[in-house]
Amino acid sequence: MDNLRDRLVRCFETVFPDMPESEIATASQQTLSNWDSVAAITLANVIEDEFAFQLDFEDLADLDSFERIQAYLAARLPASQN
Amino acid sequence: MTVTEALKVIRAAPGSAAEYHVLLACGFTPLHLQTFLTAHLQTKLPARKVRASAGLFGNLAGTIESAAQSEPQGIAIALEWGDLDPRLGYRSAGAVTPSVVPDIVEQAREMLERIAAAIEGLPAGIRVALSLPSLPLPPFFHTAGTQESQAELLLERDLMEFASRCAARAAIVNRRRLDEEAPCAARHDLKSELIAGLPYTTVFADALANTLARLLTPAAPKKGLITDLDNTLWHGIVGEIGPAEVSWDLAGHGQIHCLYQKVVASLAEEGVLIGISSKNDPNVVARAFERRDLLLGADKVYPIEAHWNAKSGSIKRILATWNIGADSVVFVDDSPMELAEAVEANPGLECVLFPTDDYGAGLRMLRRLRDLFGKERVSKDDAIRLESIRRASVVRENIEGGELSEAFLANADAVITANFADAENPRALELVNKTNQFNLNGRRFEEADWRRRVARPDSILVTVAYADKFGPLGTIAVIEGARGEDALHVSAWVMSCRAFSRRIEHQCLRLLFDAFSAGAIWFDFVPTHRNGPTRNFLTSLMGTAPEGPFTLERARFDEACPPLHHKVEILKESEVYG
Repeated sequence: MDNLRDRLVRCFETVFPDMPESEIATASQQTLSNWDSVAAITLANVIEDEFAFQLDFEDLADLDSFERIQAYLAARLPASQN
Repeated sequence: MTVTEALKVIRAAPGSAAEYHVLLACGFTPLHLQTFLTAHLQTKLPARKVRASAGLFGNLAGTIESAAQSEPQGIAIALEWGDLDPRLGYRSAGAVTPSVVPDIVEQAREMLERIAAAIEGLPAGIRVALSLPSLPLPPFFHTAGTQESQAELLLERDLMEFASRCAARAAIVNRRRLDEEAPCAARHDLKSELIAGLPYTTVFADALANTLARLLTPAAPKKGLITDLDNTLWHGIVGEIGPAEVSWDLAGHGQIHCLYQKVVASLAEEGVLIGISSKNDPNVVARAFERRDLLLGADKVYPIEAHWNAKSGSIKRILATWNIGADSVVFVDDSPMELAEAVEANPGLECVLFPTDDYGAGLRMLRRLRDLFGKERVSKDDAIRLESIRRASVVRENIEGGELSEAFLANADAVITANFADAENPRALELVNKTNQFNLNGRRFEEADWRRRVARPDSILVTVAYADKFGPLGTIAVIEGARGEDALHVSAWVMSCRAFSRRIEHQCLRLLFDAFSAGAIWFDFVPTHRNGPTRNFLTSLMGTAPEGPFTLERARFDEACPPLHHKVEILKESEVYG
């Protein structure tokens, strides 16, 4: 597991403590019923804490799965954090 | 605290613990404010499982009005200007032109009236913390931002009238202190407000939540202050320059000592015990206290330990005289070495360095003292505390072999007043939550939990006041329990240490047996590391030391009870006997 992915899993574990780790990588708003708007903003803040990176609120609507968030971060974070 | 840290605190809460439910009333989307409030309360209530719920978006008044239905233990109200009239918020499309401003002011006044009435209508047991608008008014008024407009001033005036009215029921966030801890410029996040509905930056949401949590679960105030004299209570060394030359005024560059005296004198009048520990000639100190310009009179201080021995010993004796633990006391001295020596011998003592040459540090110290001793109300019992301890020295002089002589007790003209309908007296819970030595089980209660207990149909609550020819002690004991089928159940029983040795505890039990015609009383006793006096008393009745809950039969009590000489007055007797 790469560094970014590992850290992102930890973020998901913090916001969705009841979700098994094995399901995190495939999690999305469609599959996870408690990933509502409040959880989405909380997740954004936890990711900001973890990566010291400011997420744009306007991007939140598109960040609706683990995979998409991982790709989003990979494109914006410096190489040292990937 | 970050959002991640807050979530971790919430996750670590004990799942099976009793719930503490707080309702967050705000007109915006609570988001992180709710998360931070839960986390800060969880930190302050580690034995509880905190749950924070929130009301409907845009309906702050309605949330408060319907709060009682969900039976929260506490309500945190985060008021913002948009709650008073949506046109004062950023999400409304309503115009704010000069022609409609008078209407906005009027609408805001009406909403403040509605919210105040809702707060006043909350059941007594719910603790309320209220934050007044913490964000600036939007730039919709006709003056430049540097100048107040008439409308802004009218809104502020109405807000202050609202706040002073609510202060009787709610703990209100001190906006000036919040301004220091969380600067205004770093509070508002317009993008978050418009897109997510939360107007606060994450940092400010954390700061406000922490403040609200502190008001919902206030720390127990310290009970006593022990102060040094030279270069602390006054400027100069009295043994060298004499009582007439020590100073505490501007001219003598001693104003910080004057300010300190003001704070200490104020604390004394609020019921804080004030003692002196000073390495000095006692006669010189006595002459210094004769100075009439001293702001802290000698009558406000007891005891005075002035000699050349170690201060740690002085502090031990003062604590013994007050009969309270070191962790309830603050020691102020200008010498770091003396402070270190004192706390080494008296663990738990809160030591405060008096900064003689640093005015900024001096002000911080005065504010720290205010925070350590801050209390929400000053009662009649507070006012007589020091005097009753001073008089207790007469009682102590008559103790032989650990007990007062029969003749002394018989001639004390003691009167015990038992009030069986005193559930509204805040002193009852205050005494339960701060008493350590004579305490049946050391259990503490949140206000809402306490109110629920004493409101049960089978509940009993007795407050006991004591006076004798040496003066009144005020309300010194509280008994709480319930009428059981086979015995009276006592769940909480505390008595102030000032009331020891007078057989008041015996009279309390006789009162219970008599008032409820009880054949037996079941005690929810739990030994703690500090309730030895309770255990000793119960052992004297039972013959063996109890290790947990037990039942005392009436016959056994009558056999073990010594002669009681008090005159007993019962209040609300008709309600007790039906």
